[in-house]
Amino acid sequence: MALAVPTGLDNTKERPGERAPLVLGDTTYHDITEMVSSIAEKPPGRAWVLGFIVAFALLNMLGLCILYLIYTGVGVWGNRAPIFWGWPIVNFVFWVGIGHAGTLISAILYLFRQEWRTSINRAAEAMTIFAVVCAGTFPGIHVGRAWLAYWLAPYPSLNLWMWPQFRSPLLWDVFAVSTYATVSLLFWYMGMVPDLATFRDRSKNKWRRMAYGILCLGWSGSSRHWMRYEKAYALLAAFAAPLVLSVHTIVSFDFAVSQVPGWHTTIFPPYFVAGAIFSGFAMVITLMVPARKIFSLEKIITLRHLDNMTRIILATGMIVGLAYGTEFFIAWYGQVPEEKFAFINRAFGPYAWAYWTMITCNVISPNLFWFKKVRTTPWMMWVVSIFVNIGMWFERFVITVTSLSRDYLPSAWAYFEPTWVDWAMLVGSFGLFFTLFLLFCKFMPVVNMAETKATLAHELHLSHSGHGGH
Amino acid sequence: MTEQTKDKKVHGVVAEYTDVDSLMAACRRIRDAGYKRTDAFTPFPVHGIDDALGIKPTVLPWIALGAGATGTMIALAMQIWMNGIDYQYIISGKPFISLPAFIPVAFELTILLASFGTFFGMWALNGLPRFSNPIFTNPRFDRATDDTFFLYIDAKDPQFDQAGVERLLGDAGGEQITAVVDDDTPTKIPRFLLTAIVSVIALSMIPALIVAKMRVTTSDKPRFHIFMDMDLSPAKDAQQTSTLFADLRAMRPDVPGTVARGAFDGNLDYLTGIDMEELSMTDAPRAQRLVAAYAQGDDASAQAGGDDASADSGDAAAQTDKTPWLKSNPLDVDMDVVQRGQTQFGIYCATCHGLDGRGNGLVNQRAQRILATAWVPPSNMHDPTLYQDQYPDGKLFSTITNGVRKMAGYASQIEPEDRWAIVAYVRALQKSQNASLDEVPAADRGTIEKEVADVKQQLKEAAEAERQRQEEAAAKAAAEEAEQATEEADADSADDQ
Repeated sequence: MALAVPTGLDNTKERPGERAPLVLGDTTYHDITEMVSSIAEKPPGRAWVLGFIVAFALLNMLGLCILYLIYTGVGVWGNRAPIFWGWPIVNFVFWVGIGHAGTLISAILYLFRQEWRTSINRAAEAMTIFAVVCAGTFPGIHVGRAWLAYWLAPYPSLNLWMWPQFRSPLLWDVFAVSTYATVSLLFWYMGMVPDLATFRDRSKNKWRRMAYGILCLGWSGSSRHWMRYEKAYALLAAFAAPLVLSVHTIVSFDFAVSQVPGWHTTIFPPYFVAGAIFSGFAMVITLMVPARKIFSLEKIITLRHLDNMTRIILATGMIVGLAYGTEFFIAWYGQVPEEKFAFINRAFGPYAWAYWTMITCNVISPNLFWFKKVRTTPWMMWVVSIFVNIGMWFERFVITVTSLSRDYLPSAWAYFEPTWVDWAMLVGSFGLFFTLFLLFCKFMPVVNMAETKATLAHELHLSHSGHGGH
Repeated sequence: MTEQTKDKKVHGVVAEYTDVDSLMAACRRIRDAGYKRTDAFTPFPVHGIDDALGIKPTVLPWIALGAGATGTMIALAMQIWMNGIDYQYIISGKPFISLPAFIPVAFELTILLASFGTFFGMWALNGLPRFSNPIFTNPRFDRATDDTFFLYIDAKDPQFDQAGVERLLGDAGGEQITAVVDDDTPTKIPRFLLTAIVSVIALSMIPALIVAKMRVTTSDKPRFHIFMDMDLSPAKDAQQTSTLFADLRAMRPDVPGTVARGAFDGNLDYLTGIDMEELSMTDAPRAQRLVAAYAQGDDASAQAGGDDASADSGDAAAQTDKTPWLKSNPLDVDMDVVQRGQTQFGIYCATCHGLDGRGNGLVNQRAQRILATAWVPPSNMHDPTLYQDQYPDGKLFSTITNGVRKMAGYASQIEPEDRWAIVAYVRALQKSQNASLDEVPAADRGTIEKEVADVKQQLKEAAEAERQRQEEAAAKAAAEEAEQATEEADADSADDQ
């Protein structure tokens, strides 16, 4: 079988009393440096160029759509009474959710001392930043007069003579998402500084050396610096962990604090957070499976890394499935007629096709991960991860659109129909995401070399001093 | 301190190690030898090296704590000031300072500032960014970020002695022991780069300066619009086209089944109470004015025409009133019309004129009681000057429509048909107070006579019943008085005993 795992690279077998190695083959510190740095140093491969052309074209389409939107007005979207939160908000929640896995991998797994995070956290953090960029675009243009979006900020305005309304979840959202974007950026950049120093030191070209030299702030690898650096990293991880939970909680408040049937539920915060982690890990798989193949990183992004991620997808997928069931139970148990109707309408109304797409993708497809064959075969997990991505987009669509399209006022009921601009912007947002991600792959260290080397050092230390060496 | 001044200043001595364990052993060795100003350079954080080198813990967590607490305070103060004090939103009767709603933003700002404190605090404590570092002069040092470990002893260490240090590092397993000398590459930013940076910064300030200038100065030119918002209305002029409607007409016809206010069907006699044909012969300009006013349909013009009519109906003008008023009611007056008029009269007229039309309605009664000085008493409908022969139906209609003296016109409240119905009712009301039996058809006279006899009989019986009641009451009172006198007499005799 062509896609079979090369011998010696399968570290997914459980050996009692022994830690599975996370860096495979007789890899040395220098091998890790070579493996990762060469991605940025070699001229880009054909796959990268092709991908970049497509992604950049889609990004331009998004830009043109935004210009068209600003020039014409929000009427170019399918948003109509009573569905004023159409695809822009669906896309916003979808992308913010995607971002969450990056922070989860870099912060929460760090706090739990999960060493397998080290070779995937960089790309996952980059994914977070780029997903938040995509997410931030949509509310920015959804405000109608995008050039006045800065009115969201509490600044002493000479024109308005007023302050924002701090009791609105929409304003909490502004603070949550912007804090999240800022802290994720700091975390990502700080993590990259030692690796950028590696790039600087390997540069042959004077200009390249100067550019990376400025980016890495003159990092020398001093132990005194490392000590403060590691403390700062642990602190940022400790701040980012509750932050990531708060962000999707507050995003869910945008819905839950309103009184629309199908939105007004207390289950939303945990349900949204679980969904975010679920979709984020799926996106990490979607990105890492091809990246590890294209950039030949199989020795440091091992099958065990992928296996662990599929297990998290399986677990969070079941949490999401439980949440869907709980919503129905509470709708029945609460005996509020509008609430009951909202859920029956969701599953059997005009949007039943979307609902059952969501159930199939989110609840049924992850169950394939019960099989070890699926968990350890990259192309299979990649297919499932695509299903999960689709399912999670549909989840946001189902929540946003079905509830709004049929609320308390039957005379206002309507069926949502997206316009070509809606479609182009959704596709274009993937262009934005992949353009940024491909540029990142080309110019930045895709894998955290310093931490991977520390993991390797730990493994060497264990193998020298025998089992349970510390 | 050994100061080497041969050609370049020596900053310290560095040695290479190939694995973590030998580095750690060397670290412990130089620590135990008493060196304080030491450092190791490693491609990744080596755990336990701070202890091996004797590095003290950092104050960074306290910086983070302080920054985080500042964030909380700023967020709470900001929200309490903005929403609780300076600009209060009334939301469902909730308190203006509603702390639970302020938690999310307070939390986010706490995290944000704590993260800033950690991030920038760490770089500040590490003395970074620092782009010129003498240790980078050693070309082998490029491997410090790859796979080689360096141990360094600074020349500023009190125990520093170059030969001794080199021997010590060699004994601890170090290779490639070299002195770190001054970096002789230029440390200044290249001139062209500096020029470029300064000019970019200067250029980027131009738009901000233009905006700032525009904000503080006045101009007689129209506002500068980047985005038009709703500053210019796309309203259409008459006869223009519009793609908003299928027929491409910007001017819209009336909605089917509706009549615009003031629209008339051409029968001006009915709306004005004036014989327009005759008026156009006797007073053509006035007729034209009236036609124009009603045809235009707007309130101002109609009012102008109305004033014209009401002025003529004033007392002074009454003698010389040449207006060809309609002599009779254009409606086919029957019982329904009169009852409709009675209802409308009760609603709109009776408050002042009274239900009986004698001009003593509740409003008038109150005005008299409070001695209102500006009050003009309402007309008595039973005054002979208001009878049909002196005050034609058309004129009465016009008075209701346009008002007279203090009375306002009722055109906007009462439909024309109802105004004519009121005219009919007023005529009936006048007749009711001023009719003779001769005007009643002979066939009905018997009924009326019988009714009159019945009423007289009832009045007579009522008077008789009243007289009897008074007599009985008087007799009863007399009896009670006598009884009371007897009791008092008994009481007096009892007292005497």
